[in-house]
Amino acid sequence: MKANNAPAVGRTPFQKWCDKYQGLFYLIPWIIGFVVFKAIPFGQSLFYSFTDMNFFSGISQYGVMNYVDAFTNTRITKALITTFQYSFITVPLKLIFALFIAYILNFNIKFVNAFRTAYYIPSILGGSVAIAVLWRAVFRDDGLINTLIKMVTFGAFDGPSWLSDPSYALWVICLLRIWQFGSAMVLFLAALKGVPADLYEAATIDGAGKWRQFFSITVPMITPIIFYNLVTQICQAFQEFNGPYIITGGGPRNSTTLISLLVYQYAFKQNEMGMASALAWIMFLIVCVLTIIAFTSQKKWVYYSDER
Amino acid sequence: MSNAISRRDFLKVTGAVGAAGLLAACGGNGSSTAASTATSVAAPAEGDVSLTISWWGGDTRHTAYQEAITAFSEEHTNITVSPTFAAWSGWEDTMSTKFAGGVAEDVCQVNWNWLYNYSSNGQTFIDLNTVSDYIDLTQWDEGPLNACVVAGMQQAVPVSMTGRIFFWNMTTFNKAGITEVPKTLDDLYAAGETFQTKLGEDYYPLHLGGYDRMILTVFYLESIYGKDWADPSTSTLNYTADEIAEGLDFIKSLVDKHVIMPLPTYYGNNGSTAANQSNEWITGKLAGIFEWDSAASKYRDALDTDNRDGFTVGEEIQFGDYKGGFTKVSMGLAITKTCQHPAEAAMLINFLLNEEAGASIMGSECGIPASKSGLAAAEAAGAVDTLVEEANSKVLAFCSFQLDPLFEHNNLKADGTGIYQEVFDTIDYDGASGADVVDILLDGMESVGYTINA
Repeated sequence: MKANNAPAVGRTPFQKWCDKYQGLFYLIPWIIGFVVFKAIPFGQSLFYSFTDMNFFSGISQYGVMNYVDAFTNTRITKALITTFQYSFITVPLKLIFALFIAYILNFNIKFVNAFRTAYYIPSILGGSVAIAVLWRAVFRDDGLINTLIKMVTFGAFDGPSWLSDPSYALWVICLLRIWQFGSAMVLFLAALKGVPADLYEAATIDGAGKWRQFFSITVPMITPIIFYNLVTQICQAFQEFNGPYIITGGGPRNSTTLISLLVYQYAFKQNEMGMASALAWIMFLIVCVLTIIAFTSQKKWVYYSDER
Repeated sequence: MSNAISRRDFLKVTGAVGAAGLLAACGGNGSSTAASTATSVAAPAEGDVSLTISWWGGDTRHTAYQEAITAFSEEHTNITVSPTFAAWSGWEDTMSTKFAGGVAEDVCQVNWNWLYNYSSNGQTFIDLNTVSDYIDLTQWDEGPLNACVVAGMQQAVPVSMTGRIFFWNMTTFNKAGITEVPKTLDDLYAAGETFQTKLGEDYYPLHLGGYDRMILTVFYLESIYGKDWADPSTSTLNYTADEIAEGLDFIKSLVDKHVIMPLPTYYGNNGSTAANQSNEWITGKLAGIFEWDSAASKYRDALDTDNRDGFTVGEEIQFGDYKGGFTKVSMGLAITKTCQHPAEAAMLINFLLNEEAGASIMGSECGIPASKSGLAAAEAAGAVDTLVEEANSKVLAFCSFQLDPLFEHNNLKADGTGIYQEVFDTIDYDGASGADVVDILLDGMESVGYTINA
């Protein structure tokens, strides 16, 4: 017999109240998790950022000294600059590379699924000891890259010291991030498949070449995904920790010390939670500003098909 | 109206109960907080007791601890011990966070300077004198035992004493035509030249990382000037800027004379990898280290089969009129204040370090036992590594200076970002002299609490 789901006639006020708010009961576990693990630590870190909070000696001073320190301490300002450099190198290159590979893998070529899987694998490896070992093998003085450089130049050039030269070390960790382009590529691939084929047919009839089609049809049609990838990649780049932590440890000479590494060092090596919190908030504000800029600018370059 | 419970009613009730349960779980345990502040110690509890213990180390140490814990549980059937262990890398960060959060294990293997860094007022570890009925404190000599007294409390018992000594890979030395271990500074310089000319540019008789270089600098200065690096009780630096610059120039001379590998060369091949995991050490291109005596087996076991047999304990080198070098408590065992069963925790420590059944299993896995009965038991069981024992006896016979607790402060010794690293990176990258970088060192030391009169 089919169950009768119609509201019962003559329900008590308590039952009606329950009917109205029972959804909230179901949300309670999530709300508790959010409050305990997100909202409270968020508020606490803001408070701590205005103190000299130390894990073991507590708080003895209140004020903006951490923020003043952050912009006057050369170690921190250098880390901020390095973080900007890292982000401005990795985000565009990763997006361009992911789009390029997605565009190729959108063609009907043999073993396309195997290629898609292969290109996605680096993204799921993340930062691990295995990656550290691999990257060192590739970039050490007599590693794969320098061996190739030597071969190509017939022994005339040895290649730089990637891991020990401060001017090259940042590129080593940038390349790790760019190499892990799989998730952005998958999104681009999905977007490319959503571009109507009739647009290309019309363009072909009108005599447009492949490059013209790419820049006048493909790119405008996938701008919402480019925008999404841009915002998420900016957020992730500013939070990058694993690469420099496992490969260079922030060295040589602090050339790969990103702000997230400093947050970790202040918090868990020096136990200075006040300064660590201030740096985390500075990082948060920077990401906020860049995200706002991206959102504001999207009116000028992002095309949504439901907009007139 | 039906009295049957509808699915909707059931969900309402389970939702409310679930939420209440979560709230209760988040509320914390009031009784444990109260217990954590207790200082008096009750007698062993009746009934079943659960203890936790943590340590860092390598595989062989993990095995020794686990076997000893099993033996302890067989002897004390009402006590269950749950271990937490890992390698050293990142361990201090984990433990300091646990100490701060009051969630560290009941019994913790601790570094000596942790007592000062994390329990300077006795806020983290209990005074072991309060459990002296269960742990025999008379098994330790006064010196090592007193080294673990902080804030007037016996916060740990020393597991072993340690100091730095040279270890050599004589397989490589023999390849270079050198048959004797270096015993003087001139021997070191000569070895550097011989390695360079006979074996090639990528062979070095010794490797020193940033922190190792600082320890050897202090060793050298103590040999020359015959005084502690700093006053152990007040952390007042005993050396002038000029004297320290002389010590730093000594390290620079080792680089210049091809005795030690320049740091940029090391980073270029290994990034931030530890020396014992580097290809150069494993294959014998780096043929010596200046390490803690207890680290002998770690470095020996890392060598490939062609080189392992040549691993040899060297001699301490006297660089001046005095015998330099310091000894310190390598590690201790402590009971945290959050421990609910300190009496049983003390029994566990006593079993591991003093009693025949435990100490014979632990052997020299944590260094040569500082406990007299523990050492006797380990030796009787043949569980003392002869290499470690030889190194330890040489260190204890030679090194006589004291270490101050700030010397190992994380801001100073941290790999990659510490002041010591910065000083020696600057020397190697920029070709700076000791005088050029001494202020970096002094400023860094002052920032962590040293009193500088230089």
